[in-house]
Amino acid sequence: MKTITLEEFLNDIDTLTIHFTLAAVLLPLLAFIINFSLPGRLHKLAGWVSTIAILLSCIISASVFSKVWNSHHVHQQMLWFTIGDTKVYAGVLLNNLSVLMLLLVNFIALPVHIYSTAYMKDDEGYNRYFAYLSFFCFSMLALVVADNLVLFYTFWELVGFSSYLLIGFWFTRDSAVQANKKAFIMNRVGDIGLLTAIIILFAQFHTFDISQLFADKGVISQSVIQGGTWIAPLGNMPAVWQYIACGGLFLAVAAKSAQFPLHTWLPDAMEGPTSISALIHAATMVAAGVFLLGRVYPLFNGAELTILALIGCFTAFMAATIALTQNDLKRILAYSTISQLGFMIMAMGIGAYASSLFHLATHAFFKCLLFLVAGIVIHQMAHIKKDNSLDIDPQNILTMGGLRKKLPLTFIAAIIGGLALVGLPLTSGYLSKDGILIQAFEWSDGKSGFYKIIPITAVLTTWLTAFYVARLILKVFFGELKVLSDHPGIQIHIGDGGWRYKLPLILLAVCCLFPLFSVSPLLYEQAWLFQGLTLTIRAVHANIYHTLIPVSVNILSVLVIYGAYMMYVKRKGNIFLQSGFLYRLSAGEWYFDRIYNSVIVKPILFLSTAAFWIDRTIIDGFINALADIGIKIAKLCAWIDHHIIDGFLNLLVVIVEAVGNFARRFQGGKVQYYLFSMLVIVLLLFILKTVF
Amino acid sequence: MNILTLLIFTPILFGVIVAVLPSAWRGSFKYITLLATLVQLGLSVWIYCNFKTGAGFGGVNHESQFQFVQKLPWIDLDLGTMGKMQIDYFVGIDGLSIALLVMTSLILVIAALASWEIKSNLKGFFVLFLILDMAVIGVFCSLDFFLFYIFYELMLLPLYFLIGMWGGARREYAAIKFFLYTLFGSVFMLLVMVGLYLSVKDPATGNHTFNMVQMMNPANYEPGSVFSALSHQTIFGFPARAVGFVVLFIAFAIKVPVVPLHTWLPDAHVEAPTPVSIILAGILLKVGGYGIIRVCISIFPDIASADAYWLGLLGVISILYGAMNALAQKDLKRMIAYSSVSHMGFVLLGIASQTAEGISGAVMQMVSHGFLSTMLFFLAGVVYNRVHDRGIGHFRGLASIMPQYAAFVMIAFFASLGLPGFSAFIGEAFSLMGAFKSHSVNGLLPYWMAVCGSVGILLGAAYFLWTLQRMFFGQVNLKGGSVWQTALTDLNFHEKITLVPLALLVLVLGLMPSLVFDKVNDSVLALVQFLQFK
Amino acid sequence: MISLNDFLIVSAVLFCIGLYMIVSKRNAIQILIGIELMLNAAILNLVAFGKYDRFFNGGQMFALFAIVLAAATTAVALAIILNVYRQYKTIDPGRIDKLGDE
Repeated sequence: MKTITLEEFLNDIDTLTIHFTLAAVLLPLLAFIINFSLPGRLHKLAGWVSTIAILLSCIISASVFSKVWNSHHVHQQMLWFTIGDTKVYAGVLLNNLSVLMLLLVNFIALPVHIYSTAYMKDDEGYNRYFAYLSFFCFSMLALVVADNLVLFYTFWELVGFSSYLLIGFWFTRDSAVQANKKAFIMNRVGDIGLLTAIIILFAQFHTFDISQLFADKGVISQSVIQGGTWIAPLGNMPAVWQYIACGGLFLAVAAKSAQFPLHTWLPDAMEGPTSISALIHAATMVAAGVFLLGRVYPLFNGAELTILALIGCFTAFMAATIALTQNDLKRILAYSTISQLGFMIMAMGIGAYASSLFHLATHAFFKCLLFLVAGIVIHQMAHIKKDNSLDIDPQNILTMGGLRKKLPLTFIAAIIGGLALVGLPLTSGYLSKDGILIQAFEWSDGKSGFYKIIPITAVLTTWLTAFYVARLILKVFFGELKVLSDHPGIQIHIGDGGWRYKLPLILLAVCCLFPLFSVSPLLYEQAWLFQGLTLTIRAVHANIYHTLIPVSVNILSVLVIYGAYMMYVKRKGNIFLQSGFLYRLSAGEWYFDRIYNSVIVKPILFLSTAAFWIDRTIIDGFINALADIGIKIAKLCAWIDHHIIDGFLNLLVVIVEAVGNFARRFQGGKVQYYLFSMLVIVLLLFILKTVF
Repeated sequence: MNILTLLIFTPILFGVIVAVLPSAWRGSFKYITLLATLVQLGLSVWIYCNFKTGAGFGGVNHESQFQFVQKLPWIDLDLGTMGKMQIDYFVGIDGLSIALLVMTSLILVIAALASWEIKSNLKGFFVLFLILDMAVIGVFCSLDFFLFYIFYELMLLPLYFLIGMWGGARREYAAIKFFLYTLFGSVFMLLVMVGLYLSVKDPATGNHTFNMVQMMNPANYEPGSVFSALSHQTIFGFPARAVGFVVLFIAFAIKVPVVPLHTWLPDAHVEAPTPVSIILAGILLKVGGYGIIRVCISIFPDIASADAYWLGLLGVISILYGAMNALAQKDLKRMIAYSSVSHMGFVLLGIASQTAEGISGAVMQMVSHGFLSTMLFFLAGVVYNRVHDRGIGHFRGLASIMPQYAAFVMIAFFASLGLPGFSAFIGEAFSLMGAFKSHSVNGLLPYWMAVCGSVGILLGAAYFLWTLQRMFFGQVNLKGGSVWQTALTDLNFHEKITLVPLALLVLVLGLMPSLVFDKVNDSVLALVQFLQFK
Repeated sequence: MISLNDFLIVSAVLFCIGLYMIVSKRNAIQILIGIELMLNAAILNLVAFGKYDRFFNGGQMFALFAIVLAAATTAVALAIILNVYRQYKTIDPGRIDKLGDE
């Protein structure tokens, strides 16, 4: 009987896990291929193909998660290709972070798929939609398990590419095409950053392998910056390249996770179907940025992390202020996403690594829920618009109101999602967000007063969040239906929709409450997810922040919500001046688009026109001038040829001709001439003889 | 019979058949040409499969390590006191040529398929096509400089006529511009070639030789000769070897093309018929890149290292300048032509780095660009054949009326802008990686060049996506109205079988770059070692 | 008294007239006459110089012989001219330029 050592046994299990992972990743790809090759009459199957694929993938990833979470890293790879002396491997790296993301992506994608089968059922591009959707999921799933940077970059860009396809899904709409181009090019800026960072890391460490680079004992942890030089085990480089690598990575994160200054694509990206927005904003696209930051975290040093925190904090605040005044339902949610992502980036910056990823997970659920709610609302408003042939914007919250009676389940889901977004107790949002706030205060404690700006802004942002969430929900679900009061007598037949709408809402709403994450509703340290991701076991600080901050923040949040209620539902005074500078700044989204257009887009287009002008006028002009000179010289040569060289020859000819003509006369064939000549010559001879 | 010889001269056999057949059979010419290219493809695939790899098959500067070699005395003249003049028919391949050889044969098949659109003077067209075919294959196989030069010049003539006779409105201008540009380069190349011949002696026979492999060995240079590294001769006050290198580089840089020697390319591409555009962009530009690797830097490695900074700089300028120009174009083919300038800049940057990553990346980029530019020009030809217009602004919403065409355009565009999963990404990324690594490995290129080069990738996304947005998305709005709408039919079967293999190939090469790298690697390592050893 | 010189002068004048006729006349008959004149000038010279050979009278003898010969050649020449005239319908030697068979 063959005995199996423990190690072999573990290896077998690992191999099995890897196979499971590969299956989970490749199932959506398979669905993508099947959907694209479906013959025309089977198009309606596409939804089920994708949904079943993601369901299976979800189950498999749950089993992978249970095997890997908090137990051990699994890493297997095979040779992909060799270039020079460098061997590039492709493989799967599973640790707490990647299995969490694997599960999260699948778990968010599943309700979105189910929802989409109903939401998109009347669309012409039904199978195209699901093909893209599956491809999107595949790219994201592969991204989270990729074990080296080349592979990571590959899927990183594929995520961007598939989001390009989905944002521009309705490609006959100009705004959609504009938006997807903007999204892709802005993401490309980030990609360039990532590529630059990868190139720098490769030149410095001679490897692409993520675990070799970023593990606890990885080569990055062995490299130091000393006296302007970045010293690594295998080579040195000026320190500035370490900053550039970090800068590149930050650009990548900023582009994917919509951070200042590359955030403007995300609000425009709502031109895609709402279900896609749900996926992009929750688990796939924007999460990739934070995930990247989680992967490469060891590279960043103190000062760089502070910059990260500042930018995250600024983004969170800026986006929250913009969200205050927007009237487009999806735009408000888009800015809230940017704001929440700002929180995550800030958390990374202040060293709250686990809290950041924890917030990523909780945010995924409630943001997905809110978008699905928005999708239902917009769908119903579009119904009203279509049934009554009205000229309204189905996404404008000013036309809505009082929908809580018509859409009760949607209303409840919206309340849960909204509360989680604000971060009130008993929701998952409370656990993750308060964790970030508390750690922000702790972080700023040992530092100068300037650093206090970060936690204070964060708290301010929380209150702003409370206000715009309250405004959104109140305007949509409370009061009277605006359309009805504007156009009395219209037909309204709307409802929550079938089980394919309801099931995802219920599923996600449940996940937005605390029990999924923590047994204790109030202490974020108790959350299993937080514990599983904490880098170093820290002594629990039992300081005053842990009670003071949650209490004060939440009480004020509730007050803000009450204020909003008074303002929008009871109509007791409006504190905002619609014409003030701040209002315009917020409604104009801080004028980023305008600035980018005039500072970047226009100069580049001008530069390209100038380059073409140089090409045509200077380079070609030079060539043409050369050709002209050549022709001139040629003409001169031709003239010389004609008049001088040929002239000389012609002169010779003329002379010879004259001589010939002269001599010819003696050869006239006339006897008498001959005789005469003879006579003359004889006479001449005689004369000559006589003279000489 | 040597397989390379067979490969080189197969097309000319078929060309003779085409020339002999009466014009009444003109319908069969395209099939004969296609058959010729298919036979060639078969042969080159056989060569690819039987190509041996390993440290012993590096090639580059070791004559014995070349494969499928055939060496026959060709011109043998006894010059009395001046010794013997010997020119060999010497063909053989190593890793640097194999990938390009296979790519070339494949693109020739596609070009033959694209020649279906030619309607006038078929006999002339196909005979010239097959002569061109022979010449380009010959260039990639020859190891004797004289033979190389003959094939190199032989490419020019058919191209001149192909552009000048079957081209667009300004074809004469384009053809003569192309011809003079390239002739300008190659005439001076002839002088350097003769100079090298007079400097190099074959150690085995003691005669002067045109053998390129012998030219790479500094020991073979006669002391005191023009190009001997030790004699420090000068030409017009400049070091002779530097002059030789620069002259050869200019000759090949015109082909690549490198800014500012590129302006023949947009004109030639725009005016050329589709199959000629394909051959121009797909193969001819690679001849330039191949020439730089095989001839320029291999024969003058010392100068190549000393001037690497300038080569890299030219590469970066080409990348950015080409991309900028592409952004400004209003003609689809011209936009693609400028994108070629930009993409070939990566090749030059990779070569200039003289690292294994950079040179492999450059070869990969050449192979990938060969397929992609073929695909792009073919696609531009599709819409041009239907409505005889290529203005980007004249079309809108094409995706609605030609969905399959739009799908292929998207594949080609995204592959070209360096989307991972397609071959161009591997080529560009590793060219840049090599360029960046160069500073720490051999100190040739500064770090910033790679970073600037990567901006080209960003601009690439900008011009391709903008074109996509303007031509393919949005509501249908065509300049020619309903006439165009009926004329713009979706891809037919013949077009699809042309495009599908190309799309598959760029995908396969992107997923399995080892198909190229495995064959190339040994030679690249040998070359890098040779360059470092100098 | 008539001296030898007088004969020689007459002979020279005759010769010159003959020569002139040959060179300048456009008529073959006249040219023939010119030839005869030159011959006669020669014969006159023979006769004149014959006084130095009184013993054999070689001069007179040779002159007679030459006269006979001249008559014969004139006959032949006239015959040729006649034939030429038949052929060309002219006897201007300047216009007779085809010698070979047609």
